[in-house]
Parts: sequence; C-alpha cells; structure tokens
Amino acid sequence: MGGSASLIPRDLLGEYQELTFLSKQEILLAYKRFSELLPKEERENAFSARVPKSQILTLPELRANPFQHRICHVFSTSETRDDSMSFEDFLDMLSVFSDSATSDVKSHYAFRIFDFDDDGTLDRKDLEQLVNCLTGQGEESRLSSAEMEQLIQNILEESDIDRDGTINLSEFQHVVSRSPDFASSFKIVL
Amino acid sequence: MSYYHNEAFENPDYHFSETLEIDRRGSSQRNPFSHQTPYDSSLHDSYGEYRGREQNYPVAIPMASLGPGSDYNQDLPSTSPYGNFTDSFIRRRNRRPPDEIFMASSSMFETEPVCCEEEDLVGSLASMPTKERIKAIQKMPETMRKKREIRNKVLQEITKKAKHRRAQPSCCTQCLQGAAVSFRRFGNTLSEYFHQLRVWHKTLKIIGAEFGTSVLSYFVFLTWLLNFNIFSFLINFSFITIPQFLAAEPNNLSFTGLELFTGAGYFQQTVLYYGFYTNATISKIENGPSYNMQLAYIFTVGIYFVICFLILLFSMAKFFSKNFINPQEFSVNASKLLCTWDFNITNEKAVKLKQKNLRTQIKEGLTEVNKEVLNFSAMERVLRIAMHLLAWVASLGTAVAACTGVYFLSINNLELFMKGHGNDLESQTAMLVLPVIVSLLNTLIPFFFSWLGHLEKFQSPGQHIYVTITRNIILKISIVGILCYYWLNVVATSESQCWETLVGQDIYRLVLVDFIFCLLGSFFGEFLRRIIGTTVCLNLGLPEFDIGRNVLDLIYAQTLTWIGILFSPLLPGIQMIAFFIVFFVKKVSLMRNCQPPRKVWRTSQMMTSFIFLLFCPSFLGVLSVIGVTVWRLKPSEACGPFRGLSSMYAAVAEWIQILERYTVSKWVVWIYQNLITSELFFFILSSFVLIIIYLYGQIIQGRKTMTKLLRKQIVNLCWAVTSFPCNCVKEGGSPSPWDLQGNLTHRVVTKEFYFQDVLLQLPLQPAQEMPDYLEREFDRNQNTSYNEVRWSKEGNVDSPIQNLGHDAGDGIPFLLRSQAAVTIYQTQRVTAACQGDSILASRVKRKND
Repeated sequence: MGGSASLIPRDLLGEYQELTFLSKQEILLAYKRFSELLPKEERENAFSARVPKSQILTLPELRANPFQHRICHVFSTSETRDDSMSFEDFLDMLSVFSDSATSDVKSHYAFRIFDFDDDGTLDRKDLEQLVNCLTGQGEESRLSSAEMEQLIQNILEESDIDRDGTINLSEFQHVVSRSPDFASSFKIVL
Repeated sequence: MSYYHNEAFENPDYHFSETLEIDRRGSSQRNPFSHQTPYDSSLHDSYGEYRGREQNYPVAIPMASLGPGSDYNQDLPSTSPYGNFTDSFIRRRNRRPPDEIFMASSSMFETEPVCCEEEDLVGSLASMPTKERIKAIQKMPETMRKKREIRNKVLQEITKKAKHRRAQPSCCTQCLQGAAVSFRRFGNTLSEYFHQLRVWHKTLKIIGAEFGTSVLSYFVFLTWLLNFNIFSFLINFSFITIPQFLAAEPNNLSFTGLELFTGAGYFQQTVLYYGFYTNATISKIENGPSYNMQLAYIFTVGIYFVICFLILLFSMAKFFSKNFINPQEFSVNASKLLCTWDFNITNEKAVKLKQKNLRTQIKEGLTEVNKEVLNFSAMERVLRIAMHLLAWVASLGTAVAACTGVYFLSINNLELFMKGHGNDLESQTAMLVLPVIVSLLNTLIPFFFSWLGHLEKFQSPGQHIYVTITRNIILKISIVGILCYYWLNVVATSESQCWETLVGQDIYRLVLVDFIFCLLGSFFGEFLRRIIGTTVCLNLGLPEFDIGRNVLDLIYAQTLTWIGILFSPLLPGIQMIAFFIVFFVKKVSLMRNCQPPRKVWRTSQMMTSFIFLLFCPSFLGVLSVIGVTVWRLKPSEACGPFRGLSSMYAAVAEWIQILERYTVSKWVVWIYQNLITSELFFFILSSFVLIIIYLYGQIIQGRKTMTKLLRKQIVNLCWAVTSFPCNCVKEGGSPSPWDLQGNLTHRVVTKEFYFQDVLLQLPLQPAQEMPDYLEREFDRNQNTSYNEVRWSKEGNVDSPIQNLGHDAGDGIPFLLRSQAAVTIYQTQRVTAACQGDSILASRVKRKND
C-alpha cells in the first residue's frame, strides 16, 4: 500500500477524504483498482482518463451484480452519456456504497438506481424491471405476468402512501427506513 | 469493527423541538419566492451547469411533485427530480450548532432567489465547525465536482472571514494549530496501521460476497468477541501480569506437555493462575513508588467488567432503537423487496442462487396471501398442546438430568483430585473427563432438541427456531450454573490449598475442550455432512451454515472466559487465540462445505438478539458469580494476592482505611463512605432509574398509540382522496404546473398538492401567509375562509384543518387531501420520534422547509 501513496498528491488525497466517506486507504485502493482498468499507456494520467462502461463492469464487485448497468449510469458524469466513469465518479460510487455512508445518501442513490427510466418515480414499469433483476432475467426464471401484477399491486399497496400508483423518493425512503438491514446490504467494498 | 459500526440510522438529532420553530420561520418567508413563474428557464440557466449527471432527465411535470426539495424544483426547468438536496442536507446538519447561525442561514435560504442560494449554502457551511462542515459536504448526494466547488467556495469564505477578523494569527494560536495538525497526522498514521492490522477485513468481504449478510453477521460477532478478548488480555497482562513478573519466584515444576490440555502441573506455578500472584506490594526502588498487587488485581478486573457492561449496554441500546422499536406492525413483505438486494454478494453463483431463492420466496409469499388460515378441531388442538408440553417437559428433563450428571461427576472428580494429586498420566486424564462430558452434552443434546422441534410441527419456522434456541440456552446456562455452584459452594469450602487455582484449571480445561469440540463440530457437522450429502445421500445436498448453533457456542465460550478472568487472568489471551483459530477454521469450512442460507434472516435483528443473549443470561450471570466470589467467599490462606483476608473486597476496605490518614485523598474516602458503601445512595439511585424508565416507557406507549391512530387516519383519508375525482384544476390561464397539463395530469397535481407542497408547508404557518399557489387554489374555491385557520403550535393532531372551508364541491378533495397530508406529516413525525430513524424525520423536515 505504501507504494501507491505517492501516486495521489497529498492535498488531493485530503480533498477526496473530505468529500467522500472513504478513508485514505480506501481511496488509495480505489486508485489502484481504477488504474488497473486503464490501458497501460493511459495509467500515467488516471485522474483525467475515463474508463468505458465495459471495462468498469469487469470489476469483480460489479460483474455479477444485476444492477450493474444502472449503477454505471447513475454515477457516470459523462457528457456523451456513454456511462463511462472518471476516477472521481468511481470514488463517488464507492463512497455511496461504503460502510460509513449514511442511510440517507444510500437510499437516495438506491432510488435512482431502481428508477430505470430516470423519470423520478418508481412506476409499475420500474418495479417490474426491479423484480426481474431480483429474480433473474432468464425466460424460465421470470415471474408469470399474473404473479408480477399481483406482486406489484402488493408493493404499491404497502408503500404507495398517497395512492398515485407510483413510489416517489419520500415513500421509498420511508420503506427503506423500516428495513434496518438496508444499510448493511447496500454496500460494495473494494 | 467497521463492519459493525454503521453510521446509518443513528442520527440522534432528529426530534429537536427547535426544528419546528425554524420550519415555521422558514416557510413564512418563502412567499416572494413562490410568486415566481415556474418554467421560466431564462432565470436559472447557470444553475444547471453543475448537474452534469442529472441533465439527461427529461423535463416533465411529475418531477416537480417529487424531490423533497420540490419548492425549488418548481422553478427550475432543467432540474431533475434528484436535484437540489444540498440545502436540506445542510440544514439538517445545522440543527446542532447554536441557534443564531441556524436562524440566519435558514431564513436566507428562503428569501433569496435561487441564483444566490448557493451563496447561502456556502455561508451556512462556512459558519459550521470544521467537522460538521466536512460531514455535511460528504452527505450531499452530488457529484464530486459539485461538492468540490462548494467546498472551495466555503474555504474561500472562511479565509476571507479570518482575514477580516485579524490580520495575523498570534504565536500561541499558531503553536496550537501546529500541535493540532501534528496530532491529527499522528492519529492518521495510527489508524493506517490499525487498518493494516485488520487481517479479517478481506475474509469478511469474501464471506459476504458468497453467503450474504446473515452468515456474515456470525463472523462479525466473532470478531467483536475477539476484540473484547484482546482488550481484556491487554489490560490484564499489562496491569496484573507484568508487575508479577518483576516479583516472580522460580518455577521448579517439570513440564511434560500434557499440561497444555489439563492446565495443571507446571502451569500451577505460572502467571496463568490466581494462586501464583503475590500479595506483596511491589517496589523495585527503595522508597520509590510501589505497586499494590491486591488493589491492581481487584481494580483491573473490576474496571474491565464495568467497561464490558457499558459497551454491552450501549451497543444493545443502539441496536434496540434501530431494530425493535417498530410501531408499524403491518406487514411490509412486498415492499421489503425494494431494499432486499444484498449488494455485498458479488460471486456469480451466489447471485444466481440468491435470485432463485428470492423467486421462490416471492412465489411462496404470493400463494400464502391467498391461503386461508388453518383451522384445527378441538381434538387436534388439545393434541398439539399436549405435544408441546411433552416436548418442553422432555427438554427441561434432559437439561436437569445433564446438570445432575455434571454435578455428581464434578464432585467425584474433586475427591479424586484431592486424593491423588500426583502427576501421573491417569489422574491427568481423569481431570479431562469432566470437560469432555460437558462438551459432549453441549454438542449432543441440541440434536435431540432439534429432533423434538421437528416432532412438534410448529406452524411457523420462526417459532421453531426461537423455541429451539431457547431450549439450547436453558441447557447451556444451567450447565454453567451448576458448575458455578460447584465451584463456589464445593470447591471453595474444600480443604484444597488453593481453591481459586483449582477453579481456574477447571475453566481452562472447559475452554480448551470446548474449543476442540468446536473444531470437531465443523469437521463432522459440515465436512462429513457435505461428503455424505454429495456422495451417499444426494437429496440431502450441501449443508447450510447453522448460524444459531454457532452463535450459542460462541456465547458459551465467552461466558466461561468471563467467569475465568478472576481465577485465571490470562484466560482471555487463550480465548483470543482460540477465537482466532475458530475464525479461520470456520471460514475455510464454510467456503468449502456450505451453501448460502435459503431463507432470509433478519440480519440486524439477529445481531441484536446475539448481543442481548450475551448480556442477559451470560454477562449478568457472570457478574453475580464474580460478585459472590469477591464479597462473600474467603480467599485461600496460602496463595494468591488476597491470602489472609476475610474476603477479596476487604483489600479495598483496608486501602480506604490507609487513605483516611492523608488529607489529600479525603475525597476518595468521602466517595467511598457516602456513595459506595451507603445503602441509601443506591436506593435513591435505583428509584431514580426506575422512575426514568417508567417515564420513557409511558412516552413510548403514548407515541405508539398516537402513531396507530394517525396511521388509521391516513388510510381512511387516502381512500377518500382517491375516491374523489380531482376536478379542481380545470381552468387554464396563468402558467402554473397544473394548468399547463390540465386535466390530464390531475394525478400529478393531486400528489403535488398534498404530498409535497401544500400541506407540508401548511401545518406550521399562519394561514395569511400561505404559499401563493394555495391562495390561487382558494380563490378558485371562493367560499373558503382560510383566514380562520389557526395552526396549533406543535402541529398537533387537532390542527383545525376542518376550518379551512365549509363548502362542498370542488373544495372537498382538496380539504381531504390537506388533512391527509397533515396526518401523514404528523404520523411521520411521531413515527420518526418513536423509531429513531433519521430519514423520516429529515424528510418531514425537508418538506416543511
């Protein structure tokens, strides 16, 4: 670990520590992992480089995650919307998924990850995609449409407080706040 | 430990009453702002530039109804639903600093137009203490670039202010700052090293990746206990053992190797046991400072137990407030899916398996909803009850039989030990009989219990688990209890030379054999089970890791260690090594042999129950055993630090008598005489504590009732809202969100109205200062008399929303909605207060702002 310490300037490292929930070690580790994703010639300037989505998804922490595309999408600041990630995006992601992030931040981002069409509410379509991600995408593993209908109905009945047919951020956070396991399960550690 | 200490859900500052004050102030000043025309994009172009991430959100009405900061969103065309959280985040952090800052910042937020909003944010951040500020910035759900920008501005602001205040810092402050910086740097390096010391970090991650959080919780608990023992070992070693080394006598017993198992022989004359410690006052230098072994012994152990007690108490309180005070009893089965995915799991196979399990669960859940409750006939019911009774009698009987067996065996053992006392092989193996029998009973009887559980055919698997665990606890605790009785009543009164050492040896053997059985357990229970499951009996499949049984084993081992601390101060060190080995053996066995658990365990509740079990029978029992030993029993005459005293506690009494002679230490004597030895003080203290507990219980009860009532109201009102057609938004004209979309979006308007904007501002402001769009709404429903509205100060249930209007027709849905929202608001507030969840409270607050 000592070797990589010199790779990030001291003040930049301090800044990252202040801006994220990560510790020094975690940032250094993140840097190491991030530069490994870059081709050799670009490793020199890893701070300005962007790693394409396909590379990001080769990380073992994300490879098997059913929400991998959404995670990339939510945390990417790419102008061209190709979901590529800069080092800072990467740190943002790790910060949210870190141990010490507050449940508020976590649930906020969880909502965005589950909001598949990016319209700011979890509507029936989003919920359907969410359930599909949870049960697996394959044809044989999906729920039948009747089951899906029933399940979504149940979800909405329980969490849609204002009965408008969608779950908004407040309602989502309300549900999450009643699930103490959420903070420990919404976690990705490098 | 970091796996364990989540900062999540533990914001304590959520129900400060001043938030209400601030809410009121804030919202009353918002009016000029809300007059602005929504969707006027020319105003706020600059605002969008930070939102690289959110720009791709389409511009649509529903959004305005959405984000907690929606008062702003209304005016921000290009804002995403997720925009602009910073202010509310800051404000939430702001609740702790002094009131003035708060008032200033929060009122600024409201009155200034949006373009200045960031300035305000910066201003309020700049006025915070450094630590608060860093936390507030960390908590913003923003991109790094945006955060950095804010931070830089804040820093500029701070330097500006600092310059303004004084040109140069004085020498003294410079010195102080330098010291602070170097101290922090030192702390950082220290934490760096500690980080590297955490060998199990990676292991925990791998376990979490394959088996999910429930199995992980066992390992987290194990590391927690390991830390406990490391701490205990360190203080015992440094305060008791090291001084003893200085005064050590030579050990002339021979070492054969078998002592490692029996703990007797050679070890009798080592620092491992109580008997070896001297009762002298150690002083190496003539007339120099001296070290009183008696006091060191009693205070080290005492302080360790006090620290343990506090740690257990606080972690228990924390977990309880997080997980068990749950006023909403209705099921959250389906919506639990929303937060059910375990992002820790990164192994592809594990993901597939988890998905499969979830699928089965969902399907089961769906069929269960339709299934009717089984009705038993009277005869069947009687049979079931008889079956349960029989099972209980059988299990309690086994426990009693086991205890009796252990008791007579141990008495026999003592006689043998007193008679023989030779170092021959026979007597040494005889010593091992008792611990082996105890461990065998502890291992085998649980199988009998689980078999009983299967016979009983419980209706829910949860019941089955709890009953089995309860029986196991009863068994283990009664075995430990009978052993304690034997040690304190039989061994202590026997004619042995040094009964404390005998007890210490007994415990040493028990710990050791238990450890060996634990290793054997993973060999037979998991390894052989896998071999059988994969080759001989294929339908058995891979075994699952039995979290309950393993945790009980850990608790049992820890109980033994705690009892043993007094008799064998280095026992925590041995237990530490044992736990360390268990950790890695269990890990290997888990990875090789087991499959992830099929059912979903409630991880955090489990952790709470583990700690509760560790506290309630185990730790409290140990405390009483230690108490009896220290206060009541006569220490041996010939060995140990307390030889010649009437009880161990007499050492403290003697010390106080000595202290009385010095005027400097009069306060210690005063504390001792008036607080520690006086019954009156303890009487007052305990009655005080009882009163507080009673009050808190009443408050919680009241809040629960309140929440229940309010929840009912929400349900009723929501029903009413949905059943009324929303026809109050037909008119076109001014460019307001609802008018733009007309009837088509009445859903959205409904939501916007009651959930986000209207009511969440309403309850806390006088009616005259209602936001503009509300006024418009009221103008439309002309007959409403909103001037009559009197908002009760604390936003109580009886807020006179009913006064809002008497008119039927268009007004009704709105009124209903209003009331619904007020109720929602209040429910959330009360719930938040009850539940201790920061999210809800902050959300409520955000809406109010």
